[in-house]
Amino acid sequence: MAELLYRKLVKQYRPDLPPALDRLDLKIRDGEFIALLGPSGCGKSTTLRMTAGLESVSDGQIVIGGKVVNNTHPKDRGIGLAFENYALYPPLTVRDNLAFNLRAHRVKQTEIDKRVAEIAKYLHVEELLDLKPAALSSGQKQRVNIGRALIRRPAVLLLDEPLSHLDAALRVKMRTEIKRLHTEQRFTTIMVTHDQLEAMALADRIAVLNDGKLQQFDTPLQVFNHPANEFVAGFLGEPPMNIFAVNADSNRRLVVPGTDFALPVTNYVGRLLGHRTSVRLGVRPWGIRVSHTPSEISVPGTVSVVENLGDETRVGVRYGDMLLMASTVMTRIYKPGLKVHLTFEDEDLNLFDQNTGERLTA
Amino acid sequence: MASVELQGLTKYYNKRRALENLSLDIHDNEFLAVFGPAGAGKTTMLSLIAGIATPNSGTIKIGGREIGGLAPADRNVAMVFESYALYSQFNVYDNMAFPLRSPKFKLPEDKIKERVTHHAKVMRIDHLLERPIQALSNGQRQRTALGRALVRNPDLFLLDEPLSHLSANLRHSMRVELKEMRTQLGTTTIYATHDYREAMSLGDRVAMLNGGHLLQLASPDDVYFRPASIDVAKFFGDPEVNILDAKLKSSGGSKLSLHMLEENIPLPLPPDVVQVLNEKHTSKIQVGVRPPDVRIAREGDKQAFHATIYSFEPLGTRSILTLKAVDGSLVRALVDGHQTFEMDRRTQFRIDPHLLIIFDAESQRFLARSAEFSEEP
Repeated sequence: MAELLYRKLVKQYRPDLPPALDRLDLKIRDGEFIALLGPSGCGKSTTLRMTAGLESVSDGQIVIGGKVVNNTHPKDRGIGLAFENYALYPPLTVRDNLAFNLRAHRVKQTEIDKRVAEIAKYLHVEELLDLKPAALSSGQKQRVNIGRALIRRPAVLLLDEPLSHLDAALRVKMRTEIKRLHTEQRFTTIMVTHDQLEAMALADRIAVLNDGKLQQFDTPLQVFNHPANEFVAGFLGEPPMNIFAVNADSNRRLVVPGTDFALPVTNYVGRLLGHRTSVRLGVRPWGIRVSHTPSEISVPGTVSVVENLGDETRVGVRYGDMLLMASTVMTRIYKPGLKVHLTFEDEDLNLFDQNTGERLTA
Repeated sequence: MASVELQGLTKYYNKRRALENLSLDIHDNEFLAVFGPAGAGKTTMLSLIAGIATPNSGTIKIGGREIGGLAPADRNVAMVFESYALYSQFNVYDNMAFPLRSPKFKLPEDKIKERVTHHAKVMRIDHLLERPIQALSNGQRQRTALGRALVRNPDLFLLDEPLSHLSANLRHSMRVELKEMRTQLGTTTIYATHDYREAMSLGDRVAMLNGGHLLQLASPDDVYFRPASIDVAKFFGDPEVNILDAKLKSSGGSKLSLHMLEENIPLPLPPDVVQVLNEKHTSKIQVGVRPPDVRIAREGDKQAFHATIYSFEPLGTRSILTLKAVDGSLVRALVDGHQTFEMDRRTQFRIDPHLLIIFDAESQRFLARSAEFSEEP
């Protein structure tokens, strides 16, 4: 396994269009699991394909284990690639599927046997070696698929949307298995995904991309709790963060014009605001406390909608066009029409510059 | 407004069974969520009611009147599809007025204006009537499509996965908006979805279908807290419910304790659960434990199970912790997201016996859950 470096990596498909990937700088440590996360067209798949050698590099460098591989043939880069669809060969047994790439590279049979046994043990598929793919569960196929990528002992494992075709319940289980596998084996891994939960659950660090540009590169909880900008804040989190425009009024409150929403400005928020009079305010549904009684810093409102989802209750309070959603543990005390008071703790408030979208920091 | 009665409804497409002997009543003005995975029979059920497909057997009554022989147009049923099918060349007003100008209604323009304006207010799009469809947000489009269906004053509303093509974030907000407007629809509604949160949020009751069969028809609370079978339990909740093998032991008098994961940690069962189990003489059981009900315990807690941390997956506000118990079972817990856990470390966890969902191991059907414990925090 090895360290992987992107230096000002650029992919430009057409000179008249903005680059698909714009000067990406990332340093991925040996053994680290990185998620490239973003919506379609953000540049994540382009990055993966350039790393694998399926696309040329327009500018910048890809460095694997200290060696620039821009012009290295794909098969000599030390890359193991596992695609979304398993692409196992149906007529071959698991053993032969695993051995396939080694045979293609004319590795000696004794060496092949040794490596198949080794990888089968890693992936807990030893009992399945003589079965054909049709007899395997989705989870088992996934492991064989990853095993096929790993058997050549790549420097870097690339996973392209590895779970996106699975149903929800299986996806959660497979996610755990991949997490487990990485903890045990620590192979340097880059995973491309559009699923923020998958990225959060699996990655040591997440690189969030949008429009070909890196937005933030940090641990899952940092990205979640301290998003660099409004894009990152809105992209991560389920239910999504409430983000809306507010004005600072002359009574030191943040207000949504034309509504009852008026949030007293605390010292902390005041420092973030500086001289600004308009910002975008972001708060996650779990960061809003709903109460029957007012406090000095609470915002009054009327419950407009309530959802009981078994493991949580979501309460919606409407302010004009904006429906502010708060999440609580499961409770049946809230009903539409009920007067409530919402409290926002400083640490749960995010302020974004209304022009740049950057999160304001003190 | 009308009630709906389905009696013995069966539909085969060629030899493939799509719906088998479905009988259920929908109350006047009820919002029924029909929930199930792909191929469950949801769309078939809606198509039979709308008259797009004909059942092999069974009857459909709307407002007490059998409608089997009626053409789709004469059933006074409005179906809203996933893709809204709005006319992009028209503005909101003309889209909503469209059905009323059709040969079937042919209302005078002043009457049309009255109805469109009224329903646009209900849908909160009265300020958008002049806007072209392209200039609308997704939420506004949804409301326009609903408004267009409403102006006809249908007896019954059929919604087939209206949110399934949206991104996750948008689906959340649209679902809540729909719920907010729900009471104002004032029309009996059948809503098909494969998303359990949509079903629980929107439905007065939930009809759970799978493989063409009705597995349970109950309130959202009941399908979640008292699921009819292990199969149903697994469809509600994310991550999925933990299903564990368990044994019952008499612990003196009429008391029963439940043993799972570790032989020497008895879980005393609440009296109401004991009563049901004694009545049914069930000895082989399985237990459902929802991941949020698995709590990390203090070290040395005598009532807590031992485990190592098999996997820790932070999701932001909450995290999924997969615990490997002493007997090798994997138990999923949903825990507060502020704490981090190291993989492979030892830990202990507790499960409150009041929260157990107890199933018959043979039939896989629901046996008991304590009513003593309210689900309030």
